[in-house]
Amino acid sequence: MRISLQLFCGVIFLCGIMHAQDIANTVHNLSVSGPGTIKASSESEICIFCHTPHNSSPRQPLWNRPDPGFNYTLYNSSTTQAIPGQPTGASLLCLSCHDGTIALGNVLSRFAPISMIGGITTLPSGNSNLATDLADDHPVSFTYNSALAIADGQLADPATLTGPVQLENQQLQCTACHDPHQNLYTDFLVVTNQYSDLCNHCHQRNYWDLSSHKISMSNWNGTEPNPWFHTNFITVAENACENCHNPHTADGHLRLMNYVTEETNCLVCHNGNVTSINLETQITKTYRHNVYGYTGIHDPEEDHVVQVQHVECEDCHNPHASRQASASPPNANGFIEGVKGVNTNGSPVSAIQFEYELCYRCHADSPNKPSSPTARQIAQNNVLLEYDLSNPSYHPVEGAGQNPNCPSLISPLSEASIIYCTDCHASDGTGAPVGPHGSIYPQIMKFQYETADNTQESYQAYRLCYECHDRLTIIDGNGNFARRVHRQHIIDEDTPCNICHDPHGVSPPAGSELNHTHLINFNTAVVSPDQQTGRLEFVDQGNFAGSCYLRCHGENHSPETYQQGPAYMK
Amino acid sequence: MKKQLFCISLLLLFTAGIGSGFGQSIVGSAHDFSQASWNTTGQICIVCHAPHNADVSVNDAPLWNHQSTVATFTPYSSASLNATVGQPDASSKLCLSCHDGTVAVDNFGGISSGTFYLTGSTLIGTNLNDDHPVSFVYDAALAIADGGLADPTSTNSGLGGTISQDLLIGNKVQCASCHDVHNASGIDNLLIKSNAQSDLCLTCHVK
Repeated sequence: MRISLQLFCGVIFLCGIMHAQDIANTVHNLSVSGPGTIKASSESEICIFCHTPHNSSPRQPLWNRPDPGFNYTLYNSSTTQAIPGQPTGASLLCLSCHDGTIALGNVLSRFAPISMIGGITTLPSGNSNLATDLADDHPVSFTYNSALAIADGQLADPATLTGPVQLENQQLQCTACHDPHQNLYTDFLVVTNQYSDLCNHCHQRNYWDLSSHKISMSNWNGTEPNPWFHTNFITVAENACENCHNPHTADGHLRLMNYVTEETNCLVCHNGNVTSINLETQITKTYRHNVYGYTGIHDPEEDHVVQVQHVECEDCHNPHASRQASASPPNANGFIEGVKGVNTNGSPVSAIQFEYELCYRCHADSPNKPSSPTARQIAQNNVLLEYDLSNPSYHPVEGAGQNPNCPSLISPLSEASIIYCTDCHASDGTGAPVGPHGSIYPQIMKFQYETADNTQESYQAYRLCYECHDRLTIIDGNGNFARRVHRQHIIDEDTPCNICHDPHGVSPPAGSELNHTHLINFNTAVVSPDQQTGRLEFVDQGNFAGSCYLRCHGENHSPETYQQGPAYMK
Repeated sequence: MKKQLFCISLLLLFTAGIGSGFGQSIVGSAHDFSQASWNTTGQICIVCHAPHNADVSVNDAPLWNHQSTVATFTPYSSASLNATVGQPDASSKLCLSCHDGTVAVDNFGGISSGTFYLTGSTLIGTNLNDDHPVSFVYDAALAIADGGLADPTSTNSGLGGTISQDLLIGNKVQCASCHDVHNASGIDNLLIKSNAQSDLCLTCHVK
């Protein structure tokens, strides 16, 4: 008897499971027995809302509904190779309810529309009503063949679609993702989209397998807004594609982004609510790459050399590739992996190898690029030219520097070292995330870097420089140079480093190589030509020796000369 | 004692269920043409059947007395159809001998000069692409291939036996799989089984 009871319970349980898979137990059961709020007043037949055994519409399978119109606004973007047409096949059938234009009870096999509870006629507005604007929905009714897969480069060969995701006559239709008769995985999906399992059947993004956005187990801390408003998943990894993309009624139509303002897609997680690193606090500082300042300008297909000034997170980061992986200068780290750039020859590269290749997208050959804040003898806004290894001097970004003897360098830095742009240009503050997101200091400096004339010297005032160049060696080192040249100018005359040194590098016109070693390129707002000789010039005379022709702080150097030797010796 | 009571109750429920169909028959049904203007015999069965000299040109035709259709039909087809559907055969062809609209309903008993043709919702026509397919083999293999069909050899029809036993004729779906031409059940549209809650559809279609 006990065994019978167990058997009975087991049968009931199995029936329950099977029932959960039945259409009768889904919101697609629009009959009076349906479980949803939208259902018929008295009609008991379930299939009738879509199918009829006789005198069906010309559309299969035995379709029992009128066709909707054919005036849909279609999906399009600069990155899609697929060409969606007006909906056909199964998609047209789905839209005969889901575009909200045809009454749910309007079936061919009834003389009058089936009446619905509450007098509902067409599908009420909401997530399931796609309306006739399909530009914010995943495209349907396009040919998905191997040619498309090849043209796109990041789509599975459709021959591999032998599982739950199926095409209809080589066309992708709503039914590739949705099974209208079964609701096993919510939203009538044919397979779960946990870890974007469904998306991954077709979409095979480069870099994705190692991306933090694929593997991170971070959770949302519950502070609104909910970054995962269209899923029930609770980790970054589980949400995967849906961290950023929304397959239907996406706010950002192009590429179906969760939000039309580009940066919101990132900052809804990178604000400390999901990621422990809060980039929102950085990117809102006074001096920043102002991702808030532009909307709808960035395009993944834009020229490698940016032509219209803008900046979005995606200009520097590839969200399908980005990951935590350290690197040594000049190599690009994991955060900027898989982004395009411009190499030292000015040629486009599809995936940068070196960090500076990313910066060169905007700060080299681009029109209307940001200009230098300092007026110089030799003005040069193109940082690619400033860092050229043939220049008389440059900070060692592309390669080791020209100066073989730089005693102020703090170990482990040496004359052979290479540094990143982001060693100077980065968010300020202890523990701030790497990268030039935002700073309280102008030019997005990592540390204070005073450039105003008559600044009283302190470690803090020039900390940016002193982080690498030992302050005591600079102003108090052995020899004539440190004390007579550096100390006299920086401390006695309150002259910032920036007045004489051009920190990126000097890309000189032909014939002036000797005059611009050691990053000497005078700030012409402070330094003017010597009134006696008419010259504005630094003449390199060898190791710790040189002459300056200039007028500064009311004093003419006609010239002033220094050379290697004991301190204070003229 | 309890067990006996339970059995008796079950029996009562069972007979009550059967009983609801008692009294239903072809008499007075849509297929009772005894009062039709075009049927001068005043008989019911004669329109389709004759006890002698029956037409045997259609396979499995039971003592057939009505002119048979010779139309060529457009069978049902769809991208999601796994069954192999050909020209209607056997009893479905007999149904279509009135319902395809090519043969007059009063062409029976050797008469071929009838003038009454079906119209309206009872007219199926010769284009069967808008009708549920018929005359195809429905077996366990089809159920597996389709993925959305019950195994007819093991699934209950709700009429006492399996789908194969109760609804298929020679392993095939025919018009008679859904319709009882003689109206034994007394259900609208001469259905063999009620389609409330789409029960008839969902007997075979696992949706």
